[in-house]
Amino acid sequence: MKMAYRWLAVLLMLGLSLGSMTASAAGGEFAEQKIVLQISDPNPFKQTLVLNVANNVLKYYGPDRVKIEIVAFGPGLRLLFKENANKGRIKSLVDNGVRFSACKNTIRNMGKKLGHPPALNPNAVPVSAGVVRIVELLDKGYKLIKP
Amino acid sequence: MKTTFKKTLLAATTAAVMGGIAGQAQAANWLFLQGTEPAGAAPRAKVWGFIQAQYQKDYSDPNASGGYIPPKLIGPDLTTQESFNVFRARVGVRGTGFPLDPKVNYFFLVEFGNNGITQPGGSFAKITDASITLNHIKGARIRMGQFKTPMSEEVYQGIAIFDYINFTSYAGQQLIERTPNQRYTANVGAQTLPVDQSNGGLTQFDKSVSAARDTGIQVFDTFKVGKWEHSYSVMVGNGNGLNYTDNDNNKDTYLYLSTEYVFSPKGGPFRPGVKAYVWSQTGKRLLDNTNDSTYNPTEHDRKRYGIGFKYLKKPYRISGEYNKAEGMIFVGPHSPTFDMNPSVPPGNGEDGKADGWYLDLGWYIPGTSWELDLRYDEMRRLIDDPFETKWKTTTLGFQYHFNRKSRLTVNYALRDVTAVNYGSGAGPNAQLDGIGNRLAVQLTHIF
Repeated sequence: MKMAYRWLAVLLMLGLSLGSMTASAAGGEFAEQKIVLQISDPNPFKQTLVLNVANNVLKYYGPDRVKIEIVAFGPGLRLLFKENANKGRIKSLVDNGVRFSACKNTIRNMGKKLGHPPALNPNAVPVSAGVVRIVELLDKGYKLIKP
Repeated sequence: MKTTFKKTLLAATTAAVMGGIAGQAQAANWLFLQGTEPAGAAPRAKVWGFIQAQYQKDYSDPNASGGYIPPKLIGPDLTTQESFNVFRARVGVRGTGFPLDPKVNYFFLVEFGNNGITQPGGSFAKITDASITLNHIKGARIRMGQFKTPMSEEVYQGIAIFDYINFTSYAGQQLIERTPNQRYTANVGAQTLPVDQSNGGLTQFDKSVSAARDTGIQVFDTFKVGKWEHSYSVMVGNGNGLNYTDNDNNKDTYLYLSTEYVFSPKGGPFRPGVKAYVWSQTGKRLLDNTNDSTYNPTEHDRKRYGIGFKYLKKPYRISGEYNKAEGMIFVGPHSPTFDMNPSVPPGNGEDGKADGWYLDLGWYIPGTSWELDLRYDEMRRLIDDPFETKWKTTTLGFQYHFNRKSRLTVNYALRDVTAVNYGSGAGPNAQLDGIGNRLAVQLTHIF
């Protein structure tokens, strides 16, 4: 009986820590800050800048205390191209709970110019429209930052 | 718990930043830095360039008759021993014309400065680079057009960050190729000052220097294995420098291999690492070396090859090269026919040999904007020829970096040149004995 209680305690602790890890990976249900970063500029320097900002915010708060979503649309969608030179940084930010949203309107329009849809980073999550996604996030209490 | 977490995050962030930069695969890999753009992160058109304004003073003595040979005068005009000059002023555009397709890049650069590229004919400007790169095939990127040919990294590196003002004797004479004049051009003797330029003075050239460039097609790429980067390049070109089209049916072949252990992916062109490379260039040149009124050129092999290394981890830099040359040995702007002396049997320049090496040391004084440089170089020109000469130069230098894009460079070169088969004052030494030291000051600004 004593042994059974011990196992139950171990399972409970395991469950709790797994739950905590999931919350952490997702940015945390109890995040103190919610931030949406907009990238819509053709200037490649802005790509570096938006990733740096996300990085710095993560560093300051810690992934369990901040939720960050980067919404890319217009010329800024190039950040989420499959072969983008920053793909290593994107992967690392995703691993720390940052979400990357790709505007479907832009994907469609770029596809017309390219003759095929652009190949996207596997970590990019398509959303119906970049601006609409930002408005939704603002309604949920996110703060908009446009570096 | 919080501290541990922060440490983990910091490590992850650092890895992310490093990974991001590594992904761009640029830095001091000159194949990539000069031939490609970062995928998906290149502008449609990035305007860039640099200016190098300089002052040089030569302390050589004239020969017994008061005449000066080219090494005693300031290039490219060779009319004085002291001069200010806008040596390089280059403006270019690079990027990806259609930003939605990151696989196609271009590179365009024009020289407006006064040097061997623009001096012949007093050109106002000259296109040095115009190329397109296709990045569609992994392991075999393709570049076509006119651009720098992979070779000795003293020459191949981005010249705006070259740590000295003047090239080593070997690079300046045997790598920055003087393409032969169309017709036989008589040697010019030592000139008294001021130099009479009505007939071109000491510069009798009808074409630009090659500037280590050629028009052709190149296949290249870099492979990363952990912290190692292995690169290759194979190129076929006209072998006719900056002259766009070929002047014969022969093509030059350029081969280049390098391997580098990258200490840290940060640092741009100053990325810390240790690198070794080997390269070769083989081709043929047409040379009209008969003093008559007929165009009767003969064909001569031109081979250049070498090995080199570079260690860079601030505050220290060590680099060195050993290079060899066979055929078309340039013996100076006063001898544009590639003969040192037309009165001796021809062939001492066309089919001659040369070699050269250098060792370069740099110390970036920690906590300051100062850098100290020291380079020793040697060249043997026309090896085993009666007119073999040995060139020894020790260059002392310092640089002050105002910021990452602007710096002052000061060099003082101690030179010793001797015709090894002649005594002091005899034969060519009557001219060479007087070659003295040279002061050079240069301001560089990259924009």
